[in-house]
Amino acid sequence: MTEWKSMDIDLLVVGGGPAGMAAAVEARQAGLQVLLVDQRERLGGAIYCQPDPGCAPVAMSARHRARWQALSREFAASGAAVEFHTSFAGLDSEGLALLERRASAGEAGRVLPVRARAVVLAVGAVERIAPLPGWELPGVMSAGGLQMMMKRRGAVPVGRTLLAGSGPLLLAVASQMVALGQPPVAIIERARPFGQPAELLKLLATPGYLREALAILARLHKARVPVLHATQLTSIRLAAGGGLEVECRGQGDERRFSVDRVALHDGIRPNDFGLPGGAATGGPVLSRAGDCREALGAVAAIEDGKRAGREAARMLGLKLPAMSLQPVKRERRAQAVLARLFSPALTTPPADLPDETVICRCENRTAGDLRGLLAGHDGLSAREVKLNGRFAMGSCQGRFCADATVDFLRRCGAGAEALEASHLTGRRWPVRPVGIATLLAEGGAAADPASVIRIEEE
Amino acid sequence: MLSPSFHNDAAPPVNDPGHVVIVGAGIVGISAAFFLSRRGVQVTVLEAAAPAAGASGASDGAVSVASKRPGLMMQLGLAGIATYRALASGGVLAGEFRERPTFIVASNAAEAEVLAEHAAALAGAGVTVRLLARAEITGLLPMVSEEVVAVARVEGEGHAIGYRVVERLARAGRFTLRRSAPVDGFVRDKTGRVTAVSTGQGGLIAADAVLVAAGNGSERLLGLSGALIPRKGQLLLTERAAGRLGAPAGPLMSSRYLLSKGAAKGGPADAARSFGLVIDPLATGQFLIGGTREDGVTNTHNDLAAVRHILREAVTLMPDLARLRLLRAFSGIRTATVDRLPIVGAVPGAENLFVATGFEGDGICLGPFMGELVHRLICGEPAAVDINALSPARFTPRAA
Ligand SMILES: Cc1cc2nc3c(=O)[nH]c(=O)nc-3n(C[C@H](O)[C@H](O)[C@H](O)COP(=O)(O)OP(=O)(O)OC[C@H]3O[C@@H](n4cnc5c(N)ncnc54)[C@H](O)[C@@H]3O)c2cc1C
Ligand SMILES: Cc1cc2nc3c(=O)[nH]c(=O)nc-3n(C[C@H](O)[C@H](O)[C@H](O)COP(=O)(O)OP(=O)(O)OC[C@H]3O[C@@H](n4cnc5c(N)ncnc54)[C@H](O)[C@@H]3O)c2cc1C
Repeated sequence: MTEWKSMDIDLLVVGGGPAGMAAAVEARQAGLQVLLVDQRERLGGAIYCQPDPGCAPVAMSARHRARWQALSREFAASGAAVEFHTSFAGLDSEGLALLERRASAGEAGRVLPVRARAVVLAVGAVERIAPLPGWELPGVMSAGGLQMMMKRRGAVPVGRTLLAGSGPLLLAVASQMVALGQPPVAIIERARPFGQPAELLKLLATPGYLREALAILARLHKARVPVLHATQLTSIRLAAGGGLEVECRGQGDERRFSVDRVALHDGIRPNDFGLPGGAATGGPVLSRAGDCREALGAVAAIEDGKRAGREAARMLGLKLPAMSLQPVKRERRAQAVLARLFSPALTTPPADLPDETVICRCENRTAGDLRGLLAGHDGLSAREVKLNGRFAMGSCQGRFCADATVDFLRRCGAGAEALEASHLTGRRWPVRPVGIATLLAEGGAAADPASVIRIEEE
Repeated sequence: MLSPSFHNDAAPPVNDPGHVVIVGAGIVGISAAFFLSRRGVQVTVLEAAAPAAGASGASDGAVSVASKRPGLMMQLGLAGIATYRALASGGVLAGEFRERPTFIVASNAAEAEVLAEHAAALAGAGVTVRLLARAEITGLLPMVSEEVVAVARVEGEGHAIGYRVVERLARAGRFTLRRSAPVDGFVRDKTGRVTAVSTGQGGLIAADAVLVAAGNGSERLLGLSGALIPRKGQLLLTERAAGRLGAPAGPLMSSRYLLSKGAAKGGPADAARSFGLVIDPLATGQFLIGGTREDGVTNTHNDLAAVRHILREAVTLMPDLARLRLLRAFSGIRTATVDRLPIVGAVPGAENLFVATGFEGDGICLGPFMGELVHRLICGEPAAVDINALSPARFTPRAA
């Protein structure tokens, strides 16, 4: 066992989901010293999120269970060091990686500066949610957030839940709710996934996906969960007697639901907000892996993690063959089929959102504010949208509004075609807000024994 | 010194300068464009990136004489504040200029000495400034640490956010603004007069007069080699404190800031990197905390060592800040000059080429006033303040 007095390491892996774990395993096999950090308290990431102590795990499909068991076995045997409750706050201009160890019982938070020769960022994906009137109300959450709650607690929060938006995740969440004995009131899906038989047939090429999909659909059918296709929410309001009043519109007809909770979801995208891009001169070799590089799902995340771990070893001078990209390509094709199946039959063009629709929830900026900003300008730059409009400036730093803002601008603002969400979110330092006391707490130096990280050496 | 009505002057100039091309859409270029266009002069602003893409969009916004060097800079600072006040009451900048006092604080005897001397200089320039007794400090500024031994309260100061001023003036003015249009040179006739500017896209734009207000980009355009120094400043923004901590009525400026900036005797900061603490309570409830002065540095990154240094000093002065989170750090690049004075005036050798740059850490305060002033020069009218000392001639001896 070696004690790491100075925080110099070969490879820092950020994120303990499948991509990060696979990268760590691969890099250890190549002989690198590896430190993996995750902001949470357990490994698993989004897909293999483990239950809180004392809670029952949510059932996983056999194929997922087998993958997770193999990966966690390999990881445990790899000898990679792990720090939980530790989030990556960015690379500074000197190439130092800043790790924020969050305050926990009896221990103040602090920032550990780490000098790594290579860094693999494997921080996963985030959900997209298209703004609609009322999406900022209490009781509205993301479907992925609901799923994480279920995975952690082993139970569905009580009350009537409506799932809405678009994408296969809605079906997966509904099926898990059924399994836990609390089916959703309905699923409101914008797309018409069964309307494209030719695409459906392509799923035959990936029997794993097909089997999972059929199992989910069978379970929903048996539980009689209504699934409304080509339908979308138009507004959410607080109901007079508590709960939420939801309106939705299909082709021609309108429907209302009275529920306690609405879980929204419109697909996933890489969680690349504010991440450093290229490395500073003299800084670490930097790469991304898994969903944060390209959101292709769990199978691809493992393969891509292995690739990144191997690539880091190669970049640090080890003579090893590059890994095949075939498995990732196969997953990309499968995801493309899913994306086409769920390409929305309906969407409210952002131009039609009522003025009072909140777009940025942190700073409470609305569609009307964005329209006002656009009036009289053409070729507005991302910087002006941020500085003058206050979009993507709040404490979520654009995670929830950058896509929607850009979508709006592209369709409504002359000359905004070339805008990208990343122009709004930019590179942030720190990547997320960090406590000032935490930043000032000395840590990571040899003087502080609590910060010493132990790495097993065989 | 200042004619009280100049801010509302919309009468066409006696000698119309023709088509004026302004290079740079920072606060200085946009202010000049605003004042010219208000008098009916045709103006095109060419901006390499976007409005406020340079220092004007990455700075604090002290509209303040408190930190100015005694002499001409203090005089200009007062004119700067007067201009903001006029534009705010005149409507163009209504709501964008927040009046407030500045508190200069000293944490030991040596700093107190610097503070007393600087306060005397301010008073000499006609500024209302008062040294607070220790008991008053506790009453007025309960959030500052016990270590503070002396405070000067400077009245008649204010705050404006650079990029918002730029946006308001750009909206109010009637001129053409072209984004992503870097200028890479001038076409001159035999007499040296500029007849056109050439843009990065290979186009030529005919001009009857040209103002270069391109910050650090001015040096290359004008061949002012060695005159300008890019000076990076790192700034930190906290989350909203919203009722959790008491905020002072105005910024807390360490006496050390005066030294870092070279505003007080005892040291132009000639170290490559110096720190001068200002804790600025923003209207949003956030605190903007600065900053560094890093000579010759043109990257806009942040480093942990600097961030920690600034925060350590800030928490020492105002301990409760430790309860907030740092939302983001950013950097801006000031345009400083080797003799620490701005460069404003007609460029020798080309009677229709003007420059206004080199405002270091004072351009938000001075920008609108300087825009007004150079618009007069361009119209062939007398300036409100004698700015001979700022003439670019001091850096272009070879030009005839
Ligand atoms: C909400 C949601 C639901 C999903 N549901 C399904 C599903 O039902 N079926 C399916 O096949 N796929 C699903 N996916 C996709 C699947 O989860 C991913 O493909 C897979 O988990 C990606 O693995 P990863 O390692 O790239 O990222 P993740 O598994 O997301 O792991 C990222 C890890 O990084 C950590 N992290 C993030 N930021 C930081 C930071 N700054 N510092 C330190 N740690 C950090 C996180 O805590 C997390 O543990 C879902 C994705 C999301 C976002
Ligand atoms: C950290 C920091 C804190 C500050 N705090 C304060 C303060 O509290 N109070 C205060 O008064 N001042 C402050 N300042 C100073 C103030 O920000 C500057 O003095 C002021 O913004 C300068 O404005 P400008 O228009 O001269 O230059 P800039 O804002 O730099 O604008 C120059 C513009 O010219 C463009 N440009 C450059 N080259 C070309 C070219 N070839 N063609 C076309 N366009 C070109 C650039 O893209 C840029 O947009 C601070 C500055 C910094 C960095």
